[in-house]
Amino acid sequence: MLHYVWLTTTLVLVSTAAFGQSEGFAHHDIVIKNAIVMTVTHGNITNGSIYIKDGKIAAVGETVNAPVGATVIDAGGRYLTPGIIDSHSHIALDDDVNEATSPITPHMMMKDAFNYQDKAIYRALAGGVTTSLLLHGSANMIGGQAVVIKHKYGATRDEMLFPNAPRSIKFASGENPKRVYGSRDQLPSTRMGNFAVQRQALVEAQDYMREWDSYNDKIKRGDKDASPPKRDLKLEALADVLRGKIMVQIHIYRSDEMLTEIAMAKEFGYKIRAFHHALEAYKVADQLAENNIAIATFADWWGYKQEAWDAIPWNATMSMRKGVRVAIKSDSEDYTRRLNQEAAKAIRYGGATEEEALKMITLNPAWIVGVDDRVGSIDVGKDADLVIWNGYPLSSYGVPEKVLIDGDVYFDRSLPGLGTTHYKEGE
Amino acid sequence: MTRLNNPVWSGHSLRQAQGRLCPLLLTLILALTFSTQALAQEKPIALRGGKLLTVTHGVIENGVIVMQGGKISAVGAASSVNVPSGAQVIDVTGMTIYPGLIDSETQLGLTEISAEDMTNDLVELSDEIMPHMHTAEAFHAESALIPVARMNGITNAVVAPDSGDTLPGQDSFIQLFGSNATEMLLIRDSAMPLNFTGDQRRNKGGFGARKFPSTRMGLAAQLRQAFLDAQDYRTKWAEYERKKADAAQNKDKEKDKEKDKKSEPLPPKRDLKLEALLPYLEGKKTVVLAAEGPSDLQTAVSLANEFKLKFVLNHISHAQPVLDYVASLKVPVIVGPIYEAPKEDERYDAVYSLPAQLYKRGVKIVFASYSAHNVRNLPDQAGFATAFGLPYEEALKAITLNAAEVWGVAEQLGSLDVGKTANVVVANGDPLDVKTDVKQVFIAGREVPMTDRQVRLRDEYSKK
Repeated sequence: MLHYVWLTTTLVLVSTAAFGQSEGFAHHDIVIKNAIVMTVTHGNITNGSIYIKDGKIAAVGETVNAPVGATVIDAGGRYLTPGIIDSHSHIALDDDVNEATSPITPHMMMKDAFNYQDKAIYRALAGGVTTSLLLHGSANMIGGQAVVIKHKYGATRDEMLFPNAPRSIKFASGENPKRVYGSRDQLPSTRMGNFAVQRQALVEAQDYMREWDSYNDKIKRGDKDASPPKRDLKLEALADVLRGKIMVQIHIYRSDEMLTEIAMAKEFGYKIRAFHHALEAYKVADQLAENNIAIATFADWWGYKQEAWDAIPWNATMSMRKGVRVAIKSDSEDYTRRLNQEAAKAIRYGGATEEEALKMITLNPAWIVGVDDRVGSIDVGKDADLVIWNGYPLSSYGVPEKVLIDGDVYFDRSLPGLGTTHYKEGE
Repeated sequence: MTRLNNPVWSGHSLRQAQGRLCPLLLTLILALTFSTQALAQEKPIALRGGKLLTVTHGVIENGVIVMQGGKISAVGAASSVNVPSGAQVIDVTGMTIYPGLIDSETQLGLTEISAEDMTNDLVELSDEIMPHMHTAEAFHAESALIPVARMNGITNAVVAPDSGDTLPGQDSFIQLFGSNATEMLLIRDSAMPLNFTGDQRRNKGGFGARKFPSTRMGLAAQLRQAFLDAQDYRTKWAEYERKKADAAQNKDKEKDKEKDKKSEPLPPKRDLKLEALLPYLEGKKTVVLAAEGPSDLQTAVSLANEFKLKFVLNHISHAQPVLDYVASLKVPVIVGPIYEAPKEDERYDAVYSLPAQLYKRGVKIVFASYSAHNVRNLPDQAGFATAFGLPYEEALKAITLNAAEVWGVAEQLGSLDVGKTANVVVANGDPLDVKTDVKQVFIAGREVPMTDRQVRLRDEYSKK
């Protein structure tokens, strides 16, 4: 597994360089000036500037030192935010979201289904999204491993993979696994069935891990006769969960199930990164904060199923005030195009500050994805993933004018056709 | 002057309001219980000091609006309006006041929990031709979804069956507050959807299809036959009425009773389906013609014209290539939702900008949430359309006056004008902005309790 990730990264670096040279858009020095810079971490800078070097933010402030030859983008007094991060998406997977043939499929790699040409990537980009976590669906108690993408529409497949992003796996709970397998008269058809299936898989993974640990010990001790156990991709993935090498993202609605998942994580010694949907988080926000579990939730969706009946639009702010990291996510090809409006609802429902609301679609989802040291705010050293808005972004009216990823403009609303710079129609 | 004794209304944040919620919640619950008994507005209410968005005669800063007997009795600048003695005067300084919003297609009262079938009465899929389904007869006035919607200023809505059939039944026009379904159903059978989007096909064409109609030609033939049958049915009844009248005349003339009995005509067998189509065939009521792309749109329109139906258009989310044709029809359009995904080769804003494109061509547009749980978000869509070129005043009209006109209730609803029903919203800002908080809603001059299932859950868990 580790080997696999390393190989991918190498490919990404090589191909980026090659692409840059041949197409003539290697990273230039860029200065964006005359913007209201919403940094997310250290307030707003009115009439601020950003200096971008090699795709990274090299300086930010009222004035920045930049070389004379730098390309200047005049933001015309408009708002500038970090790129939006969608921490729960299923776009660009065609119909390959759920391997719903078994409730335990941790060895499914979403990257293998990733369709980098999907127009949904472009439409989200035009809405200011620069990074997405593409997750397995919720049919299975333990689904597949996610892929993290940057919305560089028009770039190659490998260029769109977020380099060195940590691994995430999707767990689920509640109605969906129940319905999928219950409707086939299979296990699980109840919530106790759900958790039994999950526990059984984790127990098997413990055994598998022990076998490999003992083999590795023998090798270390110089035992040349030791024969390796048979590799099993499914159990290997789960062993990595138990070893803390994969972040656990759990689709979950009811608060009682959240407590059960927390107990299960303690039983097996792994950490839960985030509860997704988490519409009842407000009922157990203290416990979530105590266990450092974030939520990726909807702004105001409710009532579409029984387990969404107690959803309230104050969930985000109430959980936030108890110390939970809150992200607003889309889970939708539609809503991912206007997550800024969804975040603005946190201002309305419960009085989040502008910065708190903005954090829900930038830095907090970046933490959930595990890339908060690289994206999610306008800070020196971070990737220059930026959005220039034509109006106030936390409103019905703000629309992205330009979207930059790694310092390159990938979307420019003023351009004819699709407004893309790297993708040409008909190609 | 008084201020309403409501923590949400008086602008306290959730946090500040905590600790006081318990007694207040009780008051609100009691208020709800009592107000369901009281049908009429008890005493005049005057809102003073707000910014009035009248829709018909501009914006009045520092205005006064008076509600009396369930109707608006005065609107104007604070200096020019006389507040009747005995009126409850509420200071709304800093607030924006606008007419109750109208959602032109919802499923309110037809569903509770989408995934739980027993809570759904959305569409009768046993046949495509179901004009005798009356949403009014399924409308669940006590639905928990209705208070959630009206808390955000939606005071009126069209309740339509789901679009699974070409003729799924008849709409109702409702008011979102009242003591029972009868009071809330302002108009039964207000209009009839005719859906022609391809989604109505049964097992979708091809050699494997087993059920008619599986193609668009099947859908169209079936519709045409239904309207022809209705024409026949009308003729038969007209003939019967004529014969009956003749017989009555003959009866007067002739005295022979034996002969009289023989000439008494028999009435045709009643057919509820065909009967339901008659007001639409006669142009007395509006057909809501739904199509998405240019081809379906033109097929549907020619079908409607063939039978001289009076219609408005619905959706047309992918009709961008034929907008001049749309304008030439001179009918209003329920547009979108603008959140509909563009076609593969279209620019990202092809549907976002559709309202502006239609408006430019002189088409009257209205918006709909096409939803039940998300009706409260109706104004967001209007606001978002302005970001893509729709003038602000038109966006507001599209969820107020235009909608009232389309549904034939402009005499009563859609603007802050004297004589209209006092459906009035008080909010802390721009009605079309997603972060604006509605502080109080009045429906027919009654102060709507600003609580719902979600507020109660919020307050319950805020205490913990």
